[in-house]
Amino acid sequence: MVTLGALKRPTRRKRGIRPTRGYRAFQVVNAIILTGVVVVTLYPFLNIVARSLSDQASIISGEVNLLPKGFNLTSYEHVMSDPMFWRNYRNTVYYTFVATCVALILTTTYAYVLSKKHLKGRTFLVAVAVFTMFFNGGLIPNYVLVTSLGLKNSVWAIALPNAISVFNLLVMKAFFESLPVELEEAGAVDGLSTYGILLRIVLPLSKAIVATMVLFYAVSFWNSWFAAFLYMDKQELFPVTVYLRNLIAGSTGAEFAGAIAETDEAQVGATIKAVTIVLTTLPILTVYPFIQRYFVSGIMLGAVKG
Amino acid sequence: MFVQSRRRAAAVAAGALALTLGLAACGDDSDPSEEVSANRAGAMEDYKVGDQFKATEQVSFSMLYNNHPNYPLKNDWLFWQELTKRTNVKLEPSAVPLSDYEQKRSVLISAGDAPLIIPKTYPNQEDAFVSSGAILPVSDYIDLMPNYKDKVAKWNLGPEINTLRQADGKYYLLPGLHEKPWQEYSLVVRTDILQELGLQEPKTWDEVYTMLKAMKAKYPAIYPFTDRYSQPKPTGNLWNILGASFGAPGGWGFQHAIWDAAAGKYVYTAASPQWKAWVEFLNKLVSEKLLDPESFTQTDDQARSKLATSKSFVITGNAQGLVNDYRPDLAKNPAAKLKKIPLPIGPAGEVNPQSRMENGVMISSKAKDNKNFVAMMQFIDWLFYSDAGQEFARWGVEGTTFVKGASGKLELAPDVNVIGLRPNAPKHLQKDFGFYNGIFAYGGKPELVQSFFSPEEQEYQAIVGARQPAPWVVPPPAPFNDEEREQATLWETTLRDYVDQQTLRFILGQRPLGEWDAYVNELKTKNMDKYMELQQKAYDRYKKEHG
Repeated sequence: MVTLGALKRPTRRKRGIRPTRGYRAFQVVNAIILTGVVVVTLYPFLNIVARSLSDQASIISGEVNLLPKGFNLTSYEHVMSDPMFWRNYRNTVYYTFVATCVALILTTTYAYVLSKKHLKGRTFLVAVAVFTMFFNGGLIPNYVLVTSLGLKNSVWAIALPNAISVFNLLVMKAFFESLPVELEEAGAVDGLSTYGILLRIVLPLSKAIVATMVLFYAVSFWNSWFAAFLYMDKQELFPVTVYLRNLIAGSTGAEFAGAIAETDEAQVGATIKAVTIVLTTLPILTVYPFIQRYFVSGIMLGAVKG
Repeated sequence: MFVQSRRRAAAVAAGALALTLGLAACGDDSDPSEEVSANRAGAMEDYKVGDQFKATEQVSFSMLYNNHPNYPLKNDWLFWQELTKRTNVKLEPSAVPLSDYEQKRSVLISAGDAPLIIPKTYPNQEDAFVSSGAILPVSDYIDLMPNYKDKVAKWNLGPEINTLRQADGKYYLLPGLHEKPWQEYSLVVRTDILQELGLQEPKTWDEVYTMLKAMKAKYPAIYPFTDRYSQPKPTGNLWNILGASFGAPGGWGFQHAIWDAAAGKYVYTAASPQWKAWVEFLNKLVSEKLLDPESFTQTDDQARSKLATSKSFVITGNAQGLVNDYRPDLAKNPAAKLKKIPLPIGPAGEVNPQSRMENGVMISSKAKDNKNFVAMMQFIDWLFYSDAGQEFARWGVEGTTFVKGASGKLELAPDVNVIGLRPNAPKHLQKDFGFYNGIFAYGGKPELVQSFFSPEEQEYQAIVGARQPAPWVVPPPAPFNDEEREQATLWETTLRDYVDQQTLRFILGQRPLGEWDAYVNELKTKNMDKYMELQQKAYDRYKKEHG
């Protein structure tokens, strides 16, 4: 037994330094604070989910907190039984996918070019991009432009005008500038072309920033409604954001004053906002865990020696 | 290359604009209906009141369509088929979500991309588009519209129509026309509490005060009256209906200048003694803790929550608010009874403060050069202004969506539902057939307007509809020209903010009412006098030029 105990002790030591009392206290405090943060951030969302499943009287009298009261699925039925909802949802997925791909390719290539200090006219190219951050043509000229280019009623009206976000471009440029130039030089010595360097050396080392950009772009295209509203003339082409926005407006506004909505429409009016939030936020939320694993720092440690 | 072609397009657009303006200017001398004699393709030779309009050849017109989510646009609606059958006209709707209809309309018109027919436009919304020349001065072409002219004459709507006129003496909107004004917002009261306290329904605002007093005496812990509609401006509805009863509407109904019929001139509404009187009244309610001071800032849901939990017994609203919001909110309290009482009467007397004009139709100026222009105006006249067209848009097709009862009264067909009148019927008048659509069905005779109203709302309308129209509702025209409007808008913004802010301070008692004169002087430093001079100038000029 003694030998066993003697054997055990060193293995235990190998696991790490025994935490001091101060560290333990820190861990407890830390856990409490972080749990608090979780509650504060999660509560509104759970409350929305609960509201989306409750009936009008309970919501208005403020009885709904974390659990639904007067369980009611009318709004979900109302929204999800409409074929147009699904059609528009498919549009949203399609628009988000296409627009994110386009945006990612254009932003990456532009940012990579701008990160090269030896590029002639680099300041001018940066200025061109930054200029659009502060000035734009305005709503109507934009509309005329997109219309006369024949982009109306197509995915390109959404993807192209918003393809490069200058903020994302600058973030990416800064990231590329921070990559050690020696790596690219080594690639060039070994016979890689410019595109080979970008595709085989720079991009594989930039997964973190690419993942960030995917997230930024995908979320913004997913949530966007204005471009689609402006450039689409048919309800079959709208993304789900426009559909739900219209549903909210219709159920809260008074079109035929003096006319009375059907009972289910009244109930829809009470919960539609919550239902909308649940239906549009959940899918994009599920993207986060998949992308999060790329957010790793320190991947470059030890790449350059000397 | 691209830049060049854009430039050329801009030049063409500018030229077209100049041309239209030029034409419009010439229009004064020549008869505009003669100008369009070339564009009579498909039009009926002799179209008059009582005729069924039918284009002599199949024609189609583009149209902006305000898509309501409760009955989303379907291309196979009986409405479209029957319309084409009866009139030989095919409408090509361009669907815009109701949520942002106004914005899209504005972009399309400004970009020169608007469809020919632009419905769902409320009076004065057309002002923004007049100077661009993109909208047709419809007043030049009403000779093509016999039913419209007939209704205006028969219902004596001339003075109302005149309020639409611009500085050039023309108007650019074909408004929806009501025979009787349709006033719908009032106080909603818990009648079970009235019964409990042995009170009568209040008929005047003084009786409202007495009622609130009695409620407060019995339930001292609560504010008996709380209100909603406070976004973005404080109690837009209460200031409107109360102000109207005193002769100076605020909130939703606020106009900077109001016509003082007795003095024969325009006065600044928010500096008038009438305005002061209702501010005093509200101040009394707040200081005696009868009206919830949070009313002016809270959200609608907060106000509804107070009513739902009996922390309050009185709120404002219309029939929709009553049936869709308040009653379901109070579903857990079966003893609670709610009623929308007839609009209480104030010092302005038994008046109906509602205008008889509704949202209507703008026509793109491009339409005039369309070879089917005359047919289009005749078509619009039939669909929106003839008795047959109005009945068709609202009730649909006899035998399919409605039947005539023994007394000739129209009734829904047994298998058709609308607004819950036949909850078990399999088909829906709006969703499945496309009738009673907010774009096509509005206005008309009271019995038509009130077709689908509940009995309690019809009762309300019978009382309030019998009141005389308020004198300031139909002021003499005093339209600004372009420069004046630009200047006026600048002044209006600062004036309005200041009026709302100070009115609220007076009501909440943060500023004593004794400082009223100081307040009026402050308005003067914010260009109130100059604004009224401008208004007077516009009034005098219009009177001189157009009688």
